[in-house]
Amino acid sequence: MKLLTHNMLTSHVKGVTKGYPLLIKATEVKVNEVEFNPQFVSRMIPKVEWSCLVQAAEQLGHRQDLPGELVPDYEKNEEFLKKVHRVLLEVEVIEGCLQCPESGREFPISRGIPNMLLNEDEV
Amino acid sequence: MEEAASQLERDHVHSVYDKIAPYFNDSRYKAWPKVRQFLLDLEAGSIVADIGCGNGKYLHINKEVFKLGCDVCRPLVDFAWSQGHEVQMCDGLHLPYRDGCFDAVLSIAVIHHLSTKERRIRAIKEMARTLRVGGRIMIYVWAMEQKRRKFEKQDIFVPWNPNPQSSSGFSREHAKPRRRATAQSVSEAIDNTDKHRKVRSTSSVADEEDLTCTTPQQRTQRLWFFSRSLDSVFDFGSLAISRSSSRDLSTLSSPTGENEGNKATHRGRGRGLIKQVSSFFSPPSVIGSEEDVFDSVTDLHKGQNGSGGSSSNNNNNTPNSNGTENQSASVSLTQECGSLALPDLVPFQKEHLKQSGDESDGGPPGKELQESTQSPQGSEGQVEGSCLRYYHVFREGELAELIENYVEELHVKQTYFDHANWCVVAEKVHSLCDRLIHI
Repeated sequence: MKLLTHNMLTSHVKGVTKGYPLLIKATEVKVNEVEFNPQFVSRMIPKVEWSCLVQAAEQLGHRQDLPGELVPDYEKNEEFLKKVHRVLLEVEVIEGCLQCPESGREFPISRGIPNMLLNEDEV
Repeated sequence: MEEAASQLERDHVHSVYDKIAPYFNDSRYKAWPKVRQFLLDLEAGSIVADIGCGNGKYLHINKEVFKLGCDVCRPLVDFAWSQGHEVQMCDGLHLPYRDGCFDAVLSIAVIHHLSTKERRIRAIKEMARTLRVGGRIMIYVWAMEQKRRKFEKQDIFVPWNPNPQSSSGFSREHAKPRRRATAQSVSEAIDNTDKHRKVRSTSSVADEEDLTCTTPQQRTQRLWFFSRSLDSVFDFGSLAISRSSSRDLSTLSSPTGENEGNKATHRGRGRGLIKQVSSFFSPPSVIGSEEDVFDSVTDLHKGQNGSGGSSSNNNNNTPNSNGTENQSASVSLTQECGSLALPDLVPFQKEHLKQSGDESDGGPPGKELQESTQSPQGSEGQVEGSCLRYYHVFREGELAELIENYVEELHVKQTYFDHANWCVVAEKVHSLCDRLIHI
């Protein structure tokens, strides 16, 4: 699970109103090399909940020097875009779980795949 | 109703796909060209979700956009992951994505597996929820009306046909490396060959799945089983269960009369479906509606012994007598169900028709049914009840109507017929929250 994916994921347990963002508890994290496409990253940025991304990166110990807020004119700031690229697309959670911030319910991640299926009583 | 619907889908969609997933990873599962085009037309930097992505065959298209996929089937999702895609396990009725986070959504040959109209609407609404305003969704569902034939009913069970593929270079697909960037050129090459293959495919039910892949040499019979829709079977209010007249495969060997006999067998088709779900409901005190055509369940037992049945009596039995019969029958029915795998649903032998030169494809149902009843014996052994997939095939306009009438957040932009599917592209025009505020 990449952090860009994580940024879209939310808890949908019945009755939960604040299911986002999911807390990440990772037991295995990988960093892959992914081709850098500055335009792609630049266009992703407005679609991403920035604070969720930073928090997630932090939870994984991979925040490095990613700023807590978006820098102005980031479209042309290649250095910044590379940092974002790394965090969004290269860091991957292979094993662990995602925890609903409200209910505490844990959704397992195994072999890189989050299992967001709900049980009958959570639906 | 909800429980019956879920159970039906578990038995005849989820568990079947779990079993047949390994077969999906060969060549028969190609990307539909119009779906590919929809993806290629997206603005660079878009985020797309393929809801019900299966083995992820659309997830490699267009490097400029971020794609994620989800499905309930673990083996298929695992395969998609092995190809380098971002995938999750989830259920289309409860999507784990925040509101308005996608620029585009795909639902390709998915919602026809949902067993009630209400669930199909909910699935569309869920996808609409995750779409941003201005974003677009493309939905493909199997069409009732095929080029050469028409399904007689909308709710059907289709057996899985695990015929091996004709050889081709598609095993390369397995070798695709984990890193998507380098895989692109390989997959493009495969896709080009895919297009050529698709053009040669002969079946009119030419979607990605088994029904396409008949070669003339394959004598396997294609069977569809018809059933009644869960929507018609269950009374929302009273939970009445309708029962239709029982038929066994072997009883079909006796030629039936034209229309009357066919009507009887038509009505017989619903029973297997009912058997599946009957265990979940206590025997009702009120039986069905005027739509229901009931018969004594004792016909079933006669039928089991293979003795030819005469046309069933299609009149309703009185509620009282049915009530008692239901109680004793429901247990035995579900047991039989397990061993005989929906034996009394009427098989519609497509293969037989193909061999007769496809001329009867457009012909009246009665005629086809007569032909098909002549040699059902061979079919029994080939039908694997555990691999019957449930489909609700859509009438022309049905999908667009569903959206227009029930999903106000979406506005239908295009509808068309593509390779045995009804297709809709719709745009999200407002979010539900916005709507409420304006009121």
